[in-house]
Amino acid sequence: MTTTIRSNPGFLRRSLFGEPGSARWRYRKSPLGLLAAGVIALFSLGALLAPWLTPYADQGRGTPDLPSRLQGPSTSHWLGTDDLGRDVLARLLFGARTALIVAIGVVVIAVVVGVLVGAIAGYFGRWVDEVLMRITDTFLAFPPLLLAVIVAAALGANLRNTIIAIAVSWWPWYARQVRSQVLSLRERPFVQAVQAIGVPDHQIIVRHVIPNAMAPVWVQATADLGAAVLTAAGLSFVGLGPRPPTADWGVMIADGRQLVLSGQWWVAGFAGIAITLTALAFNLMGDVIRDVTDPKANGRA
Amino acid sequence: MTKLHRLLLALLTITLLATACASDAETSEETTTSESEPATDETADPADTGFVYADPFGVFELDPSSAFGTENILLQNVYETLTYFNPPGSDELLSPGLAESWSSSDDSLTWTFNLREGVTFHDGSPLDAAAVIASLQRTIDLDLGAAFILLPVVEMTAIDDLTVEFALEWPTPLDLAMSSNYGAYIMGPDAVTQDADWFNAGNANGTGPYTISSYSPAESTVLTQFEDYWGGWDDGQITEVEIQLVEDPVLAEQMVRNGDADYTYNLPFDSYTALEGEEAVSVVRGQSMTNLFGMLNHERLSPEMREALVLSFPYDDIVTSLYGGEATRAQGIIPQAVWGSSPDLDLPETDLDRAAELVAAAGADGSSITYSFDAGTTEQQQIGEVWKANLATIGIDLVLEPLTFDARLELAQSDPANAQDIFTMFWFPTIVSPYDFMFSLFHSEDAPFFNLGYYSNEDFDFAIDDADALTATDRDAAIALFQEAQQILLDDHAAVFMVDVPDVAVIASDIDGHVQNPAYANVVRFHNLTRG
Repeated sequence: MTTTIRSNPGFLRRSLFGEPGSARWRYRKSPLGLLAAGVIALFSLGALLAPWLTPYADQGRGTPDLPSRLQGPSTSHWLGTDDLGRDVLARLLFGARTALIVAIGVVVIAVVVGVLVGAIAGYFGRWVDEVLMRITDTFLAFPPLLLAVIVAAALGANLRNTIIAIAVSWWPWYARQVRSQVLSLRERPFVQAVQAIGVPDHQIIVRHVIPNAMAPVWVQATADLGAAVLTAAGLSFVGLGPRPPTADWGVMIADGRQLVLSGQWWVAGFAGIAITLTALAFNLMGDVIRDVTDPKANGRA
Repeated sequence: MTKLHRLLLALLTITLLATACASDAETSEETTTSESEPATDETADPADTGFVYADPFGVFELDPSSAFGTENILLQNVYETLTYFNPPGSDELLSPGLAESWSSSDDSLTWTFNLREGVTFHDGSPLDAAAVIASLQRTIDLDLGAAFILLPVVEMTAIDDLTVEFALEWPTPLDLAMSSNYGAYIMGPDAVTQDADWFNAGNANGTGPYTISSYSPAESTVLTQFEDYWGGWDDGQITEVEIQLVEDPVLAEQMVRNGDADYTYNLPFDSYTALEGEEAVSVVRGQSMTNLFGMLNHERLSPEMREALVLSFPYDDIVTSLYGGEATRAQGIIPQAVWGSSPDLDLPETDLDRAAELVAAAGADGSSITYSFDAGTTEQQQIGEVWKANLATIGIDLVLEPLTFDARLELAQSDPANAQDIFTMFWFPTIVSPYDFMFSLFHSEDAPFFNLGYYSNEDFDFAIDDADALTATDRDAAIALFQEAQQILLDDHAAVFMVDVPDVAVIASDIDGHVQNPAYANVVRFHNLTRG
């Protein structure tokens, strides 16, 4: 490996920043994109390493410490303590785990379901397309947050159901996006060629159609990670989130909100900042990725 | 970029909620002043006789025979009852209401009430024995809400225009029943023949000091002075009241701080400490008649497990920390301010070592216990979280299940064997009597109604039934029996008796004359108030 690098001086730079002119290279040139990536890296590391980053891991998981209720930020509790005496920083770190699980869970489910439905509808066309797209339209007819609230309320409040509730209202967007890609792909010569040599339809869809329809999906999925964090916080704010005492940013705002009037701003305040930064970072990253992958926007990023 | 803008907007909404609440409060001030001119910003004006009640739960049912919820805050000002229960600490248990005096036969089977003279209903018709009988008969016939308070009544007779005689099937303290928070209201002859729809359209005909002048349950209700009220009117008394539905405690607290509301309750307990320092408001406290407890499912939990749960509960931590010193530990199921409560019961103390032994003996190490509580009720959730930490140390996982009260009740009533392990609930009295608590919550039931630990013990049932019958004739003997029954509940580990919940509210500090009476939870008798 070392010899490769020595004999090829541009390797390290290229592998980090991508080939000059490539999408990755242009992303690295965007200060906003780098900032967003930095925040997301911080968020993910915080989530993954939560138990090792704080001396109050038990409190992060929910164990109360009543004697130290509602203390302001100090050297022992950097961001203060909540109404059960738990360290707010520890709660935020463990809350990041919840947010990360929800965000990834929602996007994975929505992408898998949406891409499959969209690809099948677009590839087969005719009545298959009609049936699948009308079902999709039915889901799209509901405002997404309202649908999520209905589903979460019907299933009962816990983390798994939060993920399902949001995913249910999001997959149709991916389905429509992929379908429109596939409609043009199936007329392309390489698809018609594999059809002509008798490759079964399911193999064509999985090996040839879907991989070529995914580019816009990735952009959408990145931005949606942030929106998922935000929607999940909204659901748990109204009491449809994970069960207590699971740490959750939306719950922290809901609980901490009552304390703001008495001057104890830190519980709701820091949770609000965490949500804002994370959602904003994912959204910025999605925007920058879209700009750098858009051939028409060449050089503008 | 529009998507980014939308996102930013959404973020702003969430993070700046406190600010949003403040602007909401300003909006509601405008509506208030334009509709009913309680004129909070005209406090210098001595003629300010308006009052705004910020009501966290709403007034959704106005039929005085069947209403059995938080509507009492309105009904108690529009209708009256024959007797009233005095605040704890008074010399007498009851004071006269529409009845000036009353007496009973020695066996407590016949009761005579002498009505007040010169009382008129809102429509001008006079209060007489016939009206009283017709009102109570309507409640008995509908058999809804708190109609059970009249269960022993077999016959009502008008001896003369102002005397009513009741014949009972079994001895009961009927004077106490007539002071009930629900089901004992007297209404005018034209109202008696109406159905619930007529009342719920905002109609009323009582003898109380106020009439309903506008009613929109999801927003606000306006009460206006009844000029011919028998109690009379002096200068400076409150002549117009607006009961505004304010479900969000943060908004309610803002409103009383800004002078947009004169009274509210149900704030988080941490708020009261902060409000003590505010000049514009006073924090008022009554003795508590509301308690919080967790009924233990006798179909699912072995006696060892029930005892382990009772011993693992963090009694002292809850009282000293979560309630900011406002609460006292429950002494059994009867709150300490209710007559018949006892300070001498043999109460359990938190003992995690003993609890761990019991869990091991029951072979229940590693099992899960479900804790059903009211979603959104901070104190129930916090208690659950603290209890969960205690139970975790003895190998039990307490699973917190927040649901709306209606949903919880339905689940608990349908299938005890598969229902929750612990049902957490508040209870405040309908009639101020130990029997109200003990019968409703622990008497054997054919199908579960409010006995949601599914407790059944014949000795207990006999004890409280006898005690209730003795209440009218030999109160000391009744109290002794009630105490025996309380100890049976404790010895059986029927429930975890958590706290007597503080009766705390906030009222504008320029208002005089308010007495917080826990027998009528959250009721403000507006006729007693003046603005200083």
